[in-house]
Amino acid sequence: MVDAKNMYMRYTRGEQFALENVSFTIDRGEFVFFVGSSGAGKSTLLKLIIREIIPSSGGLKVFNRDVSRLPRHRLPYLRRNIGMVFQDFRLMEERSVYDNVAFAMIVIGSSRKEIRRRVPHLLKLVGLGNKAKVRIKDLSGGEQQRVGLARAIANRPAMIIADEPTGNLDPGTALDIMNLLRNINLRGTTVLVATHNRDIVDRFKKRVIYFENGKLVGDEQKGIYSNVH
Amino acid sequence: MNKRGFIPMFISSFIYIIGETFKGLYRNRWMCITSTGVVAVTILMLGVFMVVNMNLSHVTELVKEQVEIVVYIDEEADQSTISKLEEKLTGHPEIEEVVYVSSEEHMGRLRQQLGGMLEGYDTSLENPLLASYEIKTVEPESIVMLADEFETYPGVSNVFYGRGYVENLFAVTGVIQMIGIALMIGLAVTAVFLISHTIKLTVMMRKREIAIMKYVGATNWFIRWPFLLEGMLMGFIGAVLPMVFLYYIYQTSLDWVAANDLMFISPLPLEMVMIELAKYLVPLGTGLGMLGSTFSMGRFLRV
Repeated sequence: MVDAKNMYMRYTRGEQFALENVSFTIDRGEFVFFVGSSGAGKSTLLKLIIREIIPSSGGLKVFNRDVSRLPRHRLPYLRRNIGMVFQDFRLMEERSVYDNVAFAMIVIGSSRKEIRRRVPHLLKLVGLGNKAKVRIKDLSGGEQQRVGLARAIANRPAMIIADEPTGNLDPGTALDIMNLLRNINLRGTTVLVATHNRDIVDRFKKRVIYFENGKLVGDEQKGIYSNVH
Repeated sequence: MNKRGFIPMFISSFIYIIGETFKGLYRNRWMCITSTGVVAVTILMLGVFMVVNMNLSHVTELVKEQVEIVVYIDEEADQSTISKLEEKLTGHPEIEEVVYVSSEEHMGRLRQQLGGMLEGYDTSLENPLLASYEIKTVEPESIVMLADEFETYPGVSNVFYGRGYVENLFAVTGVIQMIGIALMIGLAVTAVFLISHTIKLTVMMRKREIAIMKYVGATNWFIRWPFLLEGMLMGFIGAVLPMVFLYYIYQTSLDWVAANDLMFISPLPLEMVMIELAKYLVPLGTGLGMLGSTFSMGRFLRV
């Protein structure tokens, strides 16, 4: 799914590398935590995977395609196979829960019939079946992130990328969200989570890739957060 | 990879795009009204200019057809010189028609023009008017050149062709066109600038939505359409409004001309003028709107 080989990334010439000689492979259906303190390179890595940026050198393949060589007009089709979840949710706050999820489907040209059928199903899946008409700004943080998750899986992506999905949530709510992500993963979707939430990483016992100052310093199956230090 | 969604524009997308277009217009209504207003003023000025210019060219054409050269025959020329001159003129390839007017005929015309003022003028006195040839040329534009040529012919006293009158007419038309074009360019640039600014505001307000759209995989065209339509709509309305205005102005002018017995000005008919205006102004307004929105978007789509 994701295949990085001796990948380097720096934003401006002469500056320090944001990522330095990073290599790893992630297979279909995996659940992976990227951990490390802020500035370690986690966010840079996620941006590279969705091709917001292109590696300075080295190779990065996503869905078996070299992202550096992906022409700009093909970019939307890469993104349709990746569901994004953000720390700050990035929802349209004035609109309803239903509209926010439907939006992702409208944008890629789904039929009205399909949208009407799928959105309620998605909302039920994330536990918001009875909140379809509520506006985003009237929801709690946890509920908002559930909307974010529903939106991320709306177009049946092969992979979910979550950037600090629990960063703004209290521990209990954070756990709920992570359990939802695990359920999504159990249905076959690859899930990549960047986090520095030690508690959650230790509790889930999934593959953990550690970053420190832009370098990959560890990659363990059933890893725990503490191993980095 | 999922290839759906590029060509198949489902109703949901269509409704979304149309909805966003009008939402954008509504949220920015004051800027939209201003921009549309500037487009309207631009188009109105261009329209007025076009109407004036169309009528002026029409009149110029009519005048051109009437312009002729008068070659006065030298009093002292003998009969053989005169017949040689006539031969030369009638055989000239750039001359369409040659009419001989005797000095008596000239006197007759003068009497007619001056009415009773020549009463009592002694007809037994020698007629001071010269006989002449009145010449129509094939091309009205070659008058000046031909007149100079005729002046060198033997037996010619002098040549008259309404010098100045013709030249002034052409010069005035030219100046009006230059001023009009300069004004138009200035206003058109302003219109494009204002439209692009208005749309930039809509884009800024929807920055968050655009970012989300990019993340869930919207194509650039899908994101662009509402903004493009917004600009085109502003341009279109900005063109249609002055057309309505011009229709009434021109109709009123025609009525005024008719009421004051000025039909010899021979203005062009209303329908013809409006069709001509619509043909140029509506696409121009819409195009200006499109240009404005294109300028405002480029950089926002590079996510």
